[in-house]
Amino acid sequence: MEEPLLEIRGLAKRFAKRSRREPAPWVIQDLTFSVSEGEFLTIIGPSGAGKTTLLNIIAQIDVASGGEVRFQSQCAPIDDPKALQPGLACRIGYVTQDDHLLPWRTTLQNVLFPLTVQGRLNAETRTRAEMLIRTAGLGGFENHYPHELSGGMRKRAALIRTLVYNPPVILMDEPFGALDAQTRTQLQEDLLRLWNLGKKTIIFVTHDIAEAIALGDRTLVLSRQPSRIAGKHAITIPRPRDVRGIMTHPEFGALYQRIRAQLQ
Amino acid sequence: MTLREAAIDLDTPAPVRSRQHAVTLGRVALAALLLLAWKLSAEMAGPLYFADPIKVVQRIVVDTLSGSLLRDTYVTLRLSAIGFALGCGLGIVLPFLLRRLPRLTAAVEPYIMASVGIPKYALVPLFILWFGIDDAPKLWLVGLLVFYVVFIAVFAGIRSVDRGLIDMARVAGAGEAAIAREVIWNSLLPFFFAALKIALPRAVSAAIIGEFLVGNEGLGYLIEHSRQNLDTVGVFAGIVVATALVLAINALLVTVDRRVNAWRPTDRHMQV
Repeated sequence: MEEPLLEIRGLAKRFAKRSRREPAPWVIQDLTFSVSEGEFLTIIGPSGAGKTTLLNIIAQIDVASGGEVRFQSQCAPIDDPKALQPGLACRIGYVTQDDHLLPWRTTLQNVLFPLTVQGRLNAETRTRAEMLIRTAGLGGFENHYPHELSGGMRKRAALIRTLVYNPPVILMDEPFGALDAQTRTQLQEDLLRLWNLGKKTIIFVTHDIAEAIALGDRTLVLSRQPSRIAGKHAITIPRPRDVRGIMTHPEFGALYQRIRAQLQ
Repeated sequence: MTLREAAIDLDTPAPVRSRQHAVTLGRVALAALLLLAWKLSAEMAGPLYFADPIKVVQRIVVDTLSGSLLRDTYVTLRLSAIGFALGCGLGIVLPFLLRRLPRLTAAVEPYIMASVGIPKYALVPLFILWFGIDDAPKLWLVGLLVFYVVFIAVFAGIRSVDRGLIDMARVAGAGEAAIAREVIWNSLLPFFFAALKIALPRAVSAAIIGEFLVGNEGLGYLIEHSRQNLDTVGVFAGIVVATALVLAINALLVTVDRRVNAWRPTDRHMQV
């Protein structure tokens, strides 16, 4: 069998103690799963289940306290923050929950930021960036500052900023969480379209069951803290999917019920 | 008036405009009142204590034409500028270095903060003892006063940088140098400009006080020398020129601040 792209075995995480008397609680304990190349994995869990922490560990901006995290057979450091390699040399892109756009840069400058710092800004990559901006419906807003954009536009800009340097893996942390239903559906469709173009590996965290089903090849359900796997579901609804009509698909109802039962 | 300003002017309703005119009028009236009060005080207190504003203006014109006032202004400005550059440079560089050395920072921070409390002007006699009577003791005074203001602001600014922005930049492939230059420097610019608004006038004040004590040129020397000769008009002329100098520097700073921080949504029209 082919070696999975990302393998997580017995992962455990707790943060530094906050007071001397009580030991810090485990945020994640004994978490095991793997992700294969080109897969769209959705992870769903109740709030406070350590979903963001899990992504931070995979992106190597936070360190695991125990277990094993292997990306392309390469082990992430355990309990040694100094050995972290954030983004694993641009192989893992990360769209965080907050857009983290640089407020002093315009939309275009924000999108070009990764290319600039990686020293890869040239005529070709710049054209690609401009193409992506137009594809995402941000044409005409290239010279606007983030505070002049709507919430949905900022999310799009953050997503494009990651896509522009083409990392093979993209982590997404509830990227559409704070948006209205209409904008969210639109962005979900855009994301699937973009994913189809490049067939990247995506790990997408959400707390919305319908979103997890509509987007993923597979869904992991996490339990409450300390988080473990509460359930795994292959989503066999064929692609291309109709995000707007996903609720009416015959498989949707039963899947939704099973996941909801496990979320308790 | 540019086209855009004209458009804004058209949009502004008449009552608002008349209120703006009232404010301008009030300002002019207040200035006239202050000048009148100055003139009256001079008449009442006598020329030894309070110089007549007209004589002060005459003195400024005469000394400007003779070149001596320009020379003194240049000397003070040069001293302030060099001292400022040294203090400001160190005040920026040191926090950036300390950022990379968290343990050293934790160790020295209480000492740095305690040294803020040392009255710097009280150190001038020591500076004279150590560094002689040329520019050096004055540069130390100016530099030190500027350094603390800038250092504390930049230090606090670095601590307040959004961790998420730094993590984002790291994941996107930015090295430490790029993070310092792009993320941290831009994040702390508002802090830095707030510090400059205090540090720049303070640099000029410190240079003038330094000149009171050491040397034989500059605006500070002009003021002190005039006082010793009971030349109150000379004292007032020096003060007026020093004030004008600080106001000019502030105006320049506001312009630069507005250009550099044009992206900021909140205090785009704020001025101090």
